[in-house]
Amino acid sequence: MAGTELEILKGITLEIKSGESVAIIGASGSGKSTLLGLLAGLDEASGGSVTINGTDLGTLDEDGRARFRGEHIGFVFQSFQLLPALTALENVMLPLELQGHSDVTQKAEHYLRRVELDARMGHYPLQLSGGEQQRVALARAFASRPAILFADEPTGNLDSRTGDRIIDLVFELNREEGTTLVLVTHDSALADRCDRRLRLDGGALVKE
Amino acid sequence: MSMTATRMLARDWRGGELGVLVMALVLAVGVVSGISAFTTKLQSALVQESHRFLAADTVVSSGRPLPEEWLQRAAKDGLQRALTLSFPSMVYAGDDNMYLASIKAVSETYPLRGELTYGVEPFGETLPASAGPARGEVWLDSRLFSLLDVTLQDKVTIGEHPFLVVAVARTEPDQGASFYGFGPRVLMHYDDIPATGVVQLGSRVEYRQLYAGPEAAVQSFSQWLQPQLQDGQKALSVEEGQPSISSALARAESFLLLAGSLAVVLAGVAVALAARRFSERHHDYVAIIKSLGATSGTVNRLYGSSLLLLGLIATALGCGLGFAIQAVFFELFAEQLPVQPGSSGIRPYAIGAATSITCLFCFAWPPLRRLGKASPLRVLRRDLPLEGSRAISDYVIGLLAVVSLMWWYSGDWKLTLAVLAGLAVTVGLGLGLALTLLKGGRLVGMSAGNIWRLALAGLQRRGMENALQVVIFSMAIMMLLVLLLVRTSLIDEWQTQLPDDAPNHFMLNIGPEDVQPIEELLSVENITSEAFYPMIRSRIMSVNGEELISTEDVQEQKRQRETTLTWSDGLPKDNSLVAGQWWPSGTDQALVSLEESFAERLEIEVGDSVGFLVGSQPLEAQVTSIRALDWQSMRPNFYLVFPPKLLASYPSTFMTSFHLEAADKAFLNRFIRSFPTVTVIEMDAVIEQVRGIINQVSAAINLVLVVILAAGGLVLIAGVQASVDARMHESAILRALGASRRLILGSLLIEFATLGLFAGFLATVAAELSVYILQTLVMDMRYTPTLWIWPLGIFSGAFVIGSLGVFNCRKVVSVAPVTVLREL
Repeated sequence: MAGTELEILKGITLEIKSGESVAIIGASGSGKSTLLGLLAGLDEASGGSVTINGTDLGTLDEDGRARFRGEHIGFVFQSFQLLPALTALENVMLPLELQGHSDVTQKAEHYLRRVELDARMGHYPLQLSGGEQQRVALARAFASRPAILFADEPTGNLDSRTGDRIIDLVFELNREEGTTLVLVTHDSALADRCDRRLRLDGGALVKE
Repeated sequence: MSMTATRMLARDWRGGELGVLVMALVLAVGVVSGISAFTTKLQSALVQESHRFLAADTVVSSGRPLPEEWLQRAAKDGLQRALTLSFPSMVYAGDDNMYLASIKAVSETYPLRGELTYGVEPFGETLPASAGPARGEVWLDSRLFSLLDVTLQDKVTIGEHPFLVVAVARTEPDQGASFYGFGPRVLMHYDDIPATGVVQLGSRVEYRQLYAGPEAAVQSFSQWLQPQLQDGQKALSVEEGQPSISSALARAESFLLLAGSLAVVLAGVAVALAARRFSERHHDYVAIIKSLGATSGTVNRLYGSSLLLLGLIATALGCGLGFAIQAVFFELFAEQLPVQPGSSGIRPYAIGAATSITCLFCFAWPPLRRLGKASPLRVLRRDLPLEGSRAISDYVIGLLAVVSLMWWYSGDWKLTLAVLAGLAVTVGLGLGLALTLLKGGRLVGMSAGNIWRLALAGLQRRGMENALQVVIFSMAIMMLLVLLLVRTSLIDEWQTQLPDDAPNHFMLNIGPEDVQPIEELLSVENITSEAFYPMIRSRIMSVNGEELISTEDVQEQKRQRETTLTWSDGLPKDNSLVAGQWWPSGTDQALVSLEESFAERLEIEVGDSVGFLVGSQPLEAQVTSIRALDWQSMRPNFYLVFPPKLLASYPSTFMTSFHLEAADKAFLNRFIRSFPTVTVIEMDAVIEQVRGIINQVSAAINLVLVVILAAGGLVLIAGVQASVDARMHESAILRALGASRRLILGSLLIEFATLGLFAGFLATVAAELSVYILQTLVMDMRYTPTLWIWPLGIFSGAFVIGSLGVFNCRKVVSVAPVTVLREL
């Protein structure tokens, strides 16, 4: 109804330890994506606070949050979100360039090799399969060595075999890099692979 | 980031998203710099052309010998010099033949500008001469050969000196266009004057010193000379050129400036539309890179540098196009222009670049700047609304930019006002009408059961967007119509002024007894002449009984002056009354009708009485009307017209004009032999030159119209594209649900054609208003409403917009709906 405020998330208190992997599960419309947006600093909460590595995201403006994301956060999205204008290699180089890293090409190549895309570095997203695109997205997410990786339904657009392969890669890389993982999914099997599962229902966390 | 910027540009170029933006910029820069370069060069050519009519860059004239020191000073300043002396004198051939001729003695260097021509037979072909007659030789006017009964290599005598006739004198650059006092020309060498002994102190002569050289030197010399001038010595101005040509070119220049201004507006709108679509399509990219850590500053730098790069490329291409446009124009003119125009310099291209920068900053940058504020949350939620995609400040900035660019470019506030008035009508009426008509009764849902209901529902669902689109379409159509209307009336007017059978020869000094025989001769030869006008020499002496000042000082407006009277029972052809009434036919009252500028100079109004001296008899007449004349028509025109009965008793001669084909020129020889006292003036070469230039100007105008049509087309394409995404999205859903190709394309066609119909109607209303202001305030032309523009404006609007809309959305029925939805 027009003029009525909608409360999407209610009374959520949550602490995630460094190196932990957490799955947020719930039905469509339960507020998973909203929670992810807030945790990752993509959105501003109307109340409450989100603190990552001692930084209260609420005290930062959008540019401050952007810098924070660049330094500490990596993303993997359901729809890959690669820039179609850039090749696989350039897509991986992008966050490194944004943060002014040196040796961006070598670093990007390293991660693309790590996701077994040595032969596809010069290809554009449209020339890659869905699984390959998601592997580029993984390489891009890990290339800037984020402290925390947010994955939003990373297998949602993939068939189950490819999806499994991607998930294996996510967990492998997560272990190697010592990254904290926050995974949003409605796939229980996938959630089971995480250290902890959190269920959202009607915008509130419920016990399983 | 530059790598990303160039990559992004390259990809967007391949994807066709930058096409309209780049083309709009290139066209804007090209048209503006091309037209500007062309008019600059044309003006320089016209200045040179006007110098041609002086045979020099500057001229001093006097009835007494001019100081030698001036020539020495000019020589020191590095100027070329020439001397002429004109005087009437009898020319003798043998013992029996003599005639009063207009002698012109010229030095070897004459003319310094323009071309002297001669012939080898009377009224024959004209040939360019490198110099005038050598010492001891003369060139005679065609008429003198029969009047004096001589041929080439015969001898004639002027004063006490015999001369060998070696050529026919044809044209001199500075022979002037005055009909009176025209005796047949004799050209001789300046140094032969003393030998003739005819020039004595007090003789009626005109001495001239001619100077020419580099512009700066001429200017500094003229500045030095001005204070030296004494009474009776005057420096001649360069404005005494060809009124027909200069007026045609002035109007053409106005037209070109108008076209350039419209190109700027059209390109600005196209750039703004294309940039907005570009920005909307880039929201998702920006969300991704912001999620990866790009700040709004980084995004602004990325798009700013892309835009800059794009601007540089488009400016370079546009300047190239501008150069090509002016080169094509000059190619058209090459044969007609008697002088080689100089370089247009860098200024036109600087104007083009400034236009590009303004377009980029005022039209393209505002929507792109907002990309920096795009929410990164779009990576998770694509349904988020786009950031302020319709900020009112964009329109304000755009409007200010358009007004300043147009004003700066045309330097003419009236022209700017005329276009703005049209635009204001379009925007005001457009939004009002579109909203009212589109409001109607709200239809439910998509109404996909029927083509018409589906189309109508579509029009309503996007009411505001559609209203904006109607405004944009009608702005573009209006500007094209304005240009088309002005072009058509300009060219029509020129063609009526100079029809193929326009009089190109004049006869003066026709005795009353010769009028009928000449009429008969012309009729036998199948030559149609205008009416025979009587000419009576007189002097205007007083106004309302008050004596006018008796002086030869041309600065004095209210002075006595020599003037030629004529009579006519009815209002002469091509004349129109601006005040008072024409007299009743057959009146014998002392009435007079005055030409408006003549009346203005002497501050005479209808009802005043004016005193004349005709021969030695005074004549007092009351002013009953003031007339406007068409000085560009090649017909005889008179300042003062009286009722026939009033002047019948005064001695008069007659004049007329007639058209003669080049092939029939031999008639003139026969005519002169039969009527040796009649003066014939050949204007055919001048008329041909005027006609040639006007034809080329018309060609240039048509060419500009095509270029502007392209700019208008771009706006229409950009306008259609701006709304294609939403329509494609809906159509793809309908298609997925099983809608037929006919239903989808049919409803899209109806939707777009309806928008085009509205736009065409508004554009036509606004165009008529703009053209009215332009023609009456800017171009000094008569305004008449144009009927054919209504169906043209309205139906071409519907047809073009309808076709463009369907063409741009055609993909929706040719590829799988899921592909369309994925790409949007």
